[in-house]
Amino acid sequence: MSVTVNRRTFLRRLLALSAGGAALTITGCGGRRAPTEPTPAPALSVPTEAPTAVPPSPAPTAVPPTLAPAATATAIPASTVTSTVEQQELTVAASATPAPTITPAGTAYLAAVHGPDLSPAELTKRAIAAVGGIERFVKKGDDVIVKPNMCTSYYGPEYASTTNPEVVATIVALCLGAGARRVRVMDYPFGGSAKNAYVTSGISEAVSKAGGEMELMAAMKYRNLTIPKGKALKQIRVYGDIMDANVVINVPIAKDHGSSTLTLGMKNLMGVVWERPTMHSRGLHQSIADLSSVVRPQLTVVDAVRILTANGPTGGNLDDVKKMDTVIASADVVAADAYATRLFNMRPEQIPYIKYGAEMGLGTMDLSTVKVDEIAG
Amino acid sequence: MTRQIAADQERARRPAATRILRAARPWVQLAAFLLFLFLLAGAGRTQPLPADLFFRLDPLAGLANMIAARQVVATLLAGGLVALAAALVAGRVWCGWLCPLGTLLDWVPARRARPREQDLAPRWRQIKYFLLVAIILAALLGNLTFLVLDPITLIYRTAAVAAWPALNALITGAEFALYKLPFLRGPVDAFEAAFRSNILPQAQPLYGLSVLLTLVFAGILALNAVRDRFWCRYLCPLGGLLGLVSKVAWLRRRVGDQCIDCLRCARACPTGTIDAARHFESDPSECIMCLECVPVCSRADQHFTPHYRPGAWRPYDPTRRQFLASTGAAVLAVGLFAAEPVAGRRQTAAVRPPGAQNPAFLSQCIRCGICLKVCPTSGLQPSLSETGLAGLWTPVLYSRLGYCDYSCNACGQACPTGAIPRLTLEEKRLAVIGHAYVDRSRCLPWADGRSCIVCEEMCPLPEKAIRLEETEVWTGEGQTVTVKRPHVNHDLCIGCGICENRCPLQGDAAIRILAPTDLSALG
Repeated sequence: MSVTVNRRTFLRRLLALSAGGAALTITGCGGRRAPTEPTPAPALSVPTEAPTAVPPSPAPTAVPPTLAPAATATAIPASTVTSTVEQQELTVAASATPAPTITPAGTAYLAAVHGPDLSPAELTKRAIAAVGGIERFVKKGDDVIVKPNMCTSYYGPEYASTTNPEVVATIVALCLGAGARRVRVMDYPFGGSAKNAYVTSGISEAVSKAGGEMELMAAMKYRNLTIPKGKALKQIRVYGDIMDANVVINVPIAKDHGSSTLTLGMKNLMGVVWERPTMHSRGLHQSIADLSSVVRPQLTVVDAVRILTANGPTGGNLDDVKKMDTVIASADVVAADAYATRLFNMRPEQIPYIKYGAEMGLGTMDLSTVKVDEIAG
Repeated sequence: MTRQIAADQERARRPAATRILRAARPWVQLAAFLLFLFLLAGAGRTQPLPADLFFRLDPLAGLANMIAARQVVATLLAGGLVALAAALVAGRVWCGWLCPLGTLLDWVPARRARPREQDLAPRWRQIKYFLLVAIILAALLGNLTFLVLDPITLIYRTAAVAAWPALNALITGAEFALYKLPFLRGPVDAFEAAFRSNILPQAQPLYGLSVLLTLVFAGILALNAVRDRFWCRYLCPLGGLLGLVSKVAWLRRRVGDQCIDCLRCARACPTGTIDAARHFESDPSECIMCLECVPVCSRADQHFTPHYRPGAWRPYDPTRRQFLASTGAAVLAVGLFAAEPVAGRRQTAAVRPPGAQNPAFLSQCIRCGICLKVCPTSGLQPSLSETGLAGLWTPVLYSRLGYCDYSCNACGQACPTGAIPRLTLEEKRLAVIGHAYVDRSRCLPWADGRSCIVCEEMCPLPEKAIRLEETEVWTGEGQTVTVKRPHVNHDLCIGCGICENRCPLQGDAAIRILAPTDLSALG
């Protein structure tokens, strides 16, 4: 190597590098700009854009909405269903993830397992078994995403601000046992870095042992979706893989929350959203319901092994943690949230986003109309 | 032809040790440079070597810091002594072999010296002594602003604040572009999984002043077009310090008596210190021990041998008059800094990293930029005029840009001088760096009767410092609504700034962090 590089060579290389860098940034791929055109979810046949075009109401075939099974299982009081046709249109047009499955006859619509002597793993297994077993949701070769609550990287799992790692790991193991091709676990915290949150919550270790993968949610995978029936939000930017996955399992932890009063399943879905400030400034509760109309997990498992009763969602005080030894499972996130309010001595009507979700036909909050299994262990 | 053969035979007689060393030098430079980049890229994570290794080996930064702060920092003292010992043994070998800025200057094309050309202006070499004395004198008076001229802080800052973020932006931009092609998604995902949060930062680092820094740095590199290693010859204060020590270095360059005035060594010398007028002697305080004169010598007569008498004092070496001049300049500068209005109030108005003690902080911060690099949210920003020239390039927390992560104590762990003390996570969580104040004229529930409460949600404290008061208020339309309005408890608030950072309003946040006021004396 000589002391000085040939000037021409140096300049030529510098020019090539700069040209390459400039080309990359100029060709519309720089940073976190939201594209103006929403990208349609490729896996589906129903269009997600063109909010003005109303698709012809098809007979429910492969992706029937959740309300239909309630019609077959028990009689539906008129209050929970405004119009069957309208709801079919609503759920098919808005559903960007494959909508939840029909509840088989005889299976519980919602199961809540309680047992101070049962491990979180056992509680989870029994709850899922009672709503039809994991086979109802996960088929062989499925790409599964498990979405727990890892909202901050501040405190360990005993502080009940993040989902119990044993519950998450059990779900991962069950999915792999049902033949899932891969099971990914992810969340994007609002406080601290994702990598720290994965470790501090204990979920990273538990998931790795169970055979699942932790994924850091990458900026370039987010895409815009329209929300045809959105009242506060007309479009939202969400993580693309959530929309493309075969199965999404929502695993919130039941917590107190300052502005939304309680954070449960529907609130947990905010973890896949890019621009959360907009949801807050446009009316949080309606925004949550609007989000839930396009991001529709197949299964919601509410971790209530330990709940946070005050200073949520961040927590940090063991005095605020209450051991409830309960796990709730349902294909209907509205119903799961409605049931979970009981743990805080509240009623679902007191939580606006649950009410809005029910009004929009995303699920039922009147649990007297559905089969609820309360199992004591 | 015969002369060529004779020259070749002469060259073959060259001592093997020097030949090998000279051939090895570019590789050692490359290795040191890569180590520098490696330590920079990994700063903030656990590494086999300390992130501030190059600062430990920088005796100027260590000396100035210990003088200004009036206390010994063990790591800087140890490293500085090692560096000075190396200079006593082999002169400015740091400059020629290890200094990352020197290496970069060797790689940037330089103007070749013409035959029999005089050095640009030999007296310019005294500029570096001028700056050296100014730095030390200012440090004596408690000011470390001039350390921005230290080469290691210069290159580290530029790399951390400008080059690294730019590189990350280009890489992320490339990922966005490649992701549009479905068949490339697998490789991009694999790349992300391998490098994101390991080497590449999770969030895009953003820094003010990066363009200014880049221009300054580019200017220094561009000076190579005037003379090879312009910075090292005329400007570098660290070079000045090592140069003064090298006057009594053990190994120095010597020309034998076979010299035929072929001028090749003078042309090859990157610092231009081989003086034709002085029988091709070099000044040991200018010679960077690069050994480039060895292979070009037609008589193979360049030797690096032990010397015991101090090197000759040259006209550009510091004289008493110059010493007094630079002392005067330093004193004047410090006086000017103290006369800035900001010195009165603004120093204590800045939000500093946790544990940093005002006003002593200014006498401890060596402006290295490591804390800026390791801050995971880019909350720590270099200050230009906000804390006055006395605080030039010291870190200030701008919560609207990046909050102080409740689970992070990286800045204190990384700070080489202890200006930001090493706090455990528990201690850091108790350190008050600021207080939040709600702007009731903008906050949504206060001003518009709209629900929000993001600030309360974000507050990381076990007992939240923001409390919600449920009240009935009038809206702009003359109706009454029930909203929850935030109140900050300043006995609890530590000023981390996540509330300001996440406030959903456009522009300035409706809750802002200001420097803390100690209210414990009041009831």
